[in-house]
Amino acid sequence: MILSLEDIHKSFGPKKVLTGVGFQAQGGRAFGLLGRNGAGKTTALRILMGVFPPDSGRVLVDGAPIDHSRVTLGYLPEERGLYPKKKIFEQLVYFAQLKGMDAGPARAAVDHWLERLDMARYRDKRLDTLSKGNQQKIQLITALAHDPQIIILDEPFSGLDPVNAMLLKDVVKEQIARGKTVLFSSHQMSYIEEFCDSIAILRDGRVVLEGDLRAIKRDYPRDRLVIRSEQAAAIAARYGDACAPLESGELLLQLPSPEAKGEIMRTLTERYDIDEVRVFEPTLGDIFVQYAGDGEKEASGL
Amino acid sequence: MRQFGVIYRFELKGYMKNKIFVGVTLFLVLALGVLLFFPRIAGLFSGDGDAPADEDRPVMLLAGQGQDVQNAFAAAFPDYEVRPASPDDVQERITAGQAECAFVLDGLARYTYYVNDLSLYDTNTEVADEVLGDLCRLAAMTDSGLSPEQAADILSLQVEHSLQALGTDQGENFFYTYIMIFALYMVILLYGQMVSTGVATEKSSRAMEVLVTSARPTAMMFGKVLAACTAGLVQLVAVFGSALLFYRINRAHWGGGIIDLFFDMPPALLGYMLLFFLLGFFLYAFLFGAVGSLANKVEDLNTSTMPVILLFVAGFMLVVFSMSSGSIDNTLMKVCSYVPFTAPMAMFTRIAMSVVPWYEIAISSAVLVCSVVLTGILSAKIYRVGVLLYGTTPKLGSVLRSLRRA
Repeated sequence: MILSLEDIHKSFGPKKVLTGVGFQAQGGRAFGLLGRNGAGKTTALRILMGVFPPDSGRVLVDGAPIDHSRVTLGYLPEERGLYPKKKIFEQLVYFAQLKGMDAGPARAAVDHWLERLDMARYRDKRLDTLSKGNQQKIQLITALAHDPQIIILDEPFSGLDPVNAMLLKDVVKEQIARGKTVLFSSHQMSYIEEFCDSIAILRDGRVVLEGDLRAIKRDYPRDRLVIRSEQAAAIAARYGDACAPLESGELLLQLPSPEAKGEIMRTLTERYDIDEVRVFEPTLGDIFVQYAGDGEKEASGL
Repeated sequence: MRQFGVIYRFELKGYMKNKIFVGVTLFLVLALGVLLFFPRIAGLFSGDGDAPADEDRPVMLLAGQGQDVQNAFAAAFPDYEVRPASPDDVQERITAGQAECAFVLDGLARYTYYVNDLSLYDTNTEVADEVLGDLCRLAAMTDSGLSPEQAADILSLQVEHSLQALGTDQGENFFYTYIMIFALYMVILLYGQMVSTGVATEKSSRAMEVLVTSARPTAMMFGKVLAACTAGLVQLVAVFGSALLFYRINRAHWGGGIIDLFFDMPPALLGYMLLFFLLGFFLYAFLFGAVGSLANKVEDLNTSTMPVILLFVAGFMLVVFSMSSGSIDNTLMKVCSYVPFTAPMAMFTRIAMSVVPWYEIAISSAVLVCSVVLTGILSAKIYRVGVLLYGTTPKLGSVLRSLRRA
């Protein structure tokens, strides 16, 4: 299935929240929706889930407008919370039933997931007796129990210890392998890089970058070199403003153009004692800071 | 519809499993049981005889007159053992505890009453005044030539009267109308606030984030309100039903009086109570739900629900004052019985305590039904907007504006 948002506009009162937002997510692949706080991610997701309608624009599934009575969605909100005073099994079954399941299958599905996430022993406990990480695993079940076609996970890894993070990773990979459309929204770039094939970066309600993550990285201008050398100071003096120190102690050298790469590499290795010189490849974090950040300062601080 | 059913069952189960709900209901039923079984239980302990046995009765001393006066006193004070005494030692005998009280007569028209501790409720002197007065009059009449029988006939003459209210007897209705209005007031206020607390809790615990993506706001609102209504109705029926049952069992032990007035209410009035309870409940529960969705935290609820509560309390006060003033059909009450927010109590009271033409009841009910539907739709819309607004509690005006735009 292909889920796409087309030219979505949305305002709340005088405040324009989304301006022409569009992106596409495919079944069997994970999609990362990135952006700083207040960039409009949650609003875009809520429009996608039909919580409120867009002012204009369309949400399409396989080219046809989304029909919320037929397409099933699972949602793990960033603001976590269920009924603190109610028993876990009871409320999970309730949420599964709200999503359209019958009582019997809902109970079976909830039991399956409690087992799968290693939470079966808390089945009849009240939610507020659990630790934060365990509450989050319970909340994840509300997003998965009804076996939805589209799974939306907002900051799914925050608050999880490494063991639980690994468990969640396995679950997510399993869902992707089963052909589900998984939408991630996260600030933890390492997880997005690990899962997502394609991303969209939102900034001030607009999509500033969208596409296949590998292609984005490949197309990134290869006009910077990372240099590790004992003679860093001398190199910095030679290239002046084009050269900036990195936190790792290495130097980042801005080239006049990507083509100048070979020549400058040769010059460096001939004249200085170089331990390592390589073309700078941005991480998703770098790309994020450049596109979603507040203008020039962060962009040049790579 | 299916979602509504799921929500309704979940919410209702929440009420039925709530320890406070179950506790309060059981307590009320038990308290009513104790109250209404009391005459029967008391009867078991006190035995069959109405008058206490001779040796148990307190002693009343009577000094200064003959046997006929003593007979008259003995008849007038069945709770006392009346004994003759000499005027000189009555004080001594009372302080020594041999007697409870004493009358020292100085002729038929003057006496001194001695008692150790004068109780607030001591009416002995009034009874004595009457007995002695009758004796004086009897003596005067026989002196002027009537036979004692004729004189006794004249003195025991009673005026007979009967009372026929052609409309509604307000004296008879006052008691049960008051209890029913009070029950209406308590249940609507209690369960209305439970609805708003429920909504505000879901919002502050962020369960709402998942709920709004899972269920339609109308289904949420109607499910909650109907569940609260059912719970309230269950409690009302449990309390009033058990009261009626206990009363029926013990009817013979209650010697008439005010309690019979309460349980002899006409069945049609119960029907009207149900009608106006439901309409009033829905109207206010929807308002409470909408207000709850605007509150940010459960702690903010008090200020948010204040206008709704004030509106409701004002209606209640008006009704209660009109009831005790005796003019149920005053202009204000008539107007209020068509204003949706006061109609449930005002119209019900008018039906119970006066005669209201059927078309007035029909108009009032129709106004209420329309208001309930409109309030329901509006509150579901406010709910949808309100539950996702965090931060400062939004003003109602700005919410309504955003509704128009949505």
